[in-house]
Parts: sequence; C-alpha cells; structure tokens
Amino acid sequence: MTKIKNLFAATRLKQEFADRRTKLYRVAYSWCHNTSLADDLVQETMLKAMKKADSLRNQATLDTWLYRILLNNWHDYLRVQGRNVELYDVGDEGQPEHADNYQKSQIVGRVRSSVERLPMSLREVVTLADFAGFSYAEIADIVDIPIGTVMSRLYRARQNLKEQLLDLAGEGKLPVKLMRVK
Amino acid sequence: MNDKTYTDEKLNLFIDQQLDTDENDEIRHSILEDASIRERVCQLKAVRELVGYAYENVPDPDNASGAGNAGISRYLWKGIAASLLLAIGMLTGWTVNDAARSTQIASADDVFQYYKSAAQVNRAERKIILHVTTGDIYAVKGALDEAEQLLASYRDAGTPMKLDIVTYREGINMMRVGVSPYLDRIEGIVDNNDNVSLYACMRSIDKAQKKEGKQLVMMEKAVTDKTAQELISERLQKGWIYIKV
Repeated sequence: MTKIKNLFAATRLKQEFADRRTKLYRVAYSWCHNTSLADDLVQETMLKAMKKADSLRNQATLDTWLYRILLNNWHDYLRVQGRNVELYDVGDEGQPEHADNYQKSQIVGRVRSSVERLPMSLREVVTLADFAGFSYAEIADIVDIPIGTVMSRLYRARQNLKEQLLDLAGEGKLPVKLMRVK
Repeated sequence: MNDKTYTDEKLNLFIDQQLDTDENDEIRHSILEDASIRERVCQLKAVRELVGYAYENVPDPDNASGAGNAGISRYLWKGIAASLLLAIGMLTGWTVNDAARSTQIASADDVFQYYKSAAQVNRAERKIILHVTTGDIYAVKGALDEAEQLLASYRDAGTPMKLDIVTYREGINMMRVGVSPYLDRIEGIVDNNDNVSLYACMRSIDKAQKKEGKQLVMMEKAVTDKTAQELISERLQKGWIYIKV
C-alpha cells in the first residue's frame, strides 16, 4: 500500500515539475539568452529535482525550490565557464518573414537586448520579479540574499532598463530606432 | 504631496505591492494629485511590463531557427500592445493602470498600426480613449477624476484633445439611469467639454439585459450602437492613446 502511495506521489510530483517546465525554460532563457543552454539547464533542474524530491518538505514552496535549483545550475555553469556575462552570440531567433512580424520582433529584441546588458545579479532578480512574478521574499529565498538586497537590485535593474528603453515610444520613432538583437 | 518626497525605491515597492496599506494609499492618492509622480510610476510600470512580455514566448529549443518568432502567440502581442501603449501613455503624461497587463482589447495589429500612425500624428492634438471595464464605484470615480484631470491639463496647456469614454462589461453601469450615482457628474463633463463623447458597449448592454431580464436605460448622451471592441480597434488604428480603468 505504501509503495502504491509513493508511486502516486512520485507521479504527481513529476506532473508538477512538467507543468512548470515551460516557465522554467523561459526564465532560464532570460538569463542566458541561448535556447540550447536554457533547455539543458531546465533538464538538469528536472533531474535534480526528482532526485532531491524528498528534501522538499513543503509543497507550497515548490516554485521557489525549483527556481533555486535552476539558479544554482546556472551559477554552476557560469563558474565552469569562468565568466559572468556575454556568453554567446544570440543569433538563434531567426528572422520572421513579414514586415510586421519583423517590427514586433524588433521590440521584443530590444527589450531582451537591454536585459542582456544588465549585470547578471540584476538580470536574475529583475526577470524573477517582472517575468516570473515572484515576490521579494520569494526572490530572497531563491537567490539566497536579504530582502533589502532584492529591493536594491530590482531598483538598479529597473533604473538601468528605464534609461535603455525609454526611447521605445519616443516621438514615434520606435520602428527605426530599435536596435537589432545580437 | 511633493514629487521629491518619494524615492524611486519607494515607488518600486509601490508598484510591486510591497508597501503596507497606509503607505500604499498615500502614494495612490499622490498619484491622482501629482502628474510628476504619476509619470514616474508609469515609467517603472512600463519597464516591468516590457520585461514581463519580452520572455512570454522564447525560441523553442528544438527549433531555434525561427519557429520561436513565427509561432509567437496573439496573446503575447496583446501583452506587448498593452505594454507599449503603457509606455506611450507614460511619455505623453497619462496614467495607464495595472489592468494594462490583462487587456483583451488591443491586438498586436492594432498596436503596430498605432505605431505606424504615431509617427504621423499631429503632436499638437491628443486623442484619448478611457476604457472603463469595471462597475466598482471607486474605480469609476477614479476614471472620472482622471477624465477631468486630462481635460483640465490639456485645456491649461492650450492643447486640443478629444476624449472618448468607452464602457464595457460592468463598466456600462456608470452610464445607467437609476443605477449610476455619477450621472450628473458625467452630464456635467460632457456639457462643459464639447470634445468628450460617451459610449456604452452594445454587446455588454445586450448581455446585461438578458441576464437581468429587463431593458437597460442608458443616459441619453451615451452612444450604444457599437461594441467596445469595434470602437477601440478603430481608434487604436488611428493613433489614439488608450487608457484602461
């Protein structure tokens, strides 16, 4: 009976992980801007999460727990690479066929490019807050820093992005002023 | 409240809803009174929204050669639309509220049409849609405050403007006779400003009539023969600024 219960629990947990995979991938991508690496990081996260499932005491903290594993994997990768930023050429987004799609991709590209220019510590915090939607307390838990540091990093990240992005809509020049994606 | 009272750190906490109720209310009140605070809050919100949407859809790891963009969802573009409209609103001094993230009205195509036309818009003239989607009495009051502020600001600046108040879903209640406590105020706004028009979504009225089993009586000045979606799409394509309440 216990074995059956464990089997159900494992299956449920696996499903919980699978449900979160897409968002984990997007967050990983927001950090590294590389599809293959983001996929590898998420794959590694899933494997570790399954192995360490017993250490998850509170199901309510599943999200922060998973993202902490993802962040650790990312940091491990950076350590191995021995560098902190500008890891690769981000030339994997292709070119859409139509002019309108191209304009649209330019806007997204501009934002991603601005995020990519942020120092890594700011990039991680701002994407966890503004894309993944975590609270300050959750980010503090994931990144393992005090809440005050989350606040200051988020402030600096947004100030930086604000300066980079404010001309997006300025004077109707958006389509021509956008910079290309790396 | 002086603009310098609040640091950007504080306003960040405000937009992320990390302040206690009193501080939150204080800033919310200041936003209504002080255009410079409103603009700073809008800037921060715009950044947050743009980052949020930039990663809603990223290239597929299995098909990184272009499927990511080709497959970008309409939902994403609606999101970008809202964000960019927010940025436009910000730069032109208008407040766009939290609901921008969830707008279901502005399509991607609308927005990019907007951008095309924005470059050709006569900068001396402002055309604004105030889209009211809620029947919440405080939100409606806020919408009317916002409308009056917009009208006063542009009047003081000598800048011509056109304001269309478009109500949708429960928002139509603000124009209902016997329901809205603000009919006199709305009448006053329209009577004193020949550049203000009122619209109640035809589809929302139909739905409400079916639900309530009776004919809705709308104020006479409200135009009721078009859907909100039609009205807003038409205006966005002509370069109007969109503000959602």
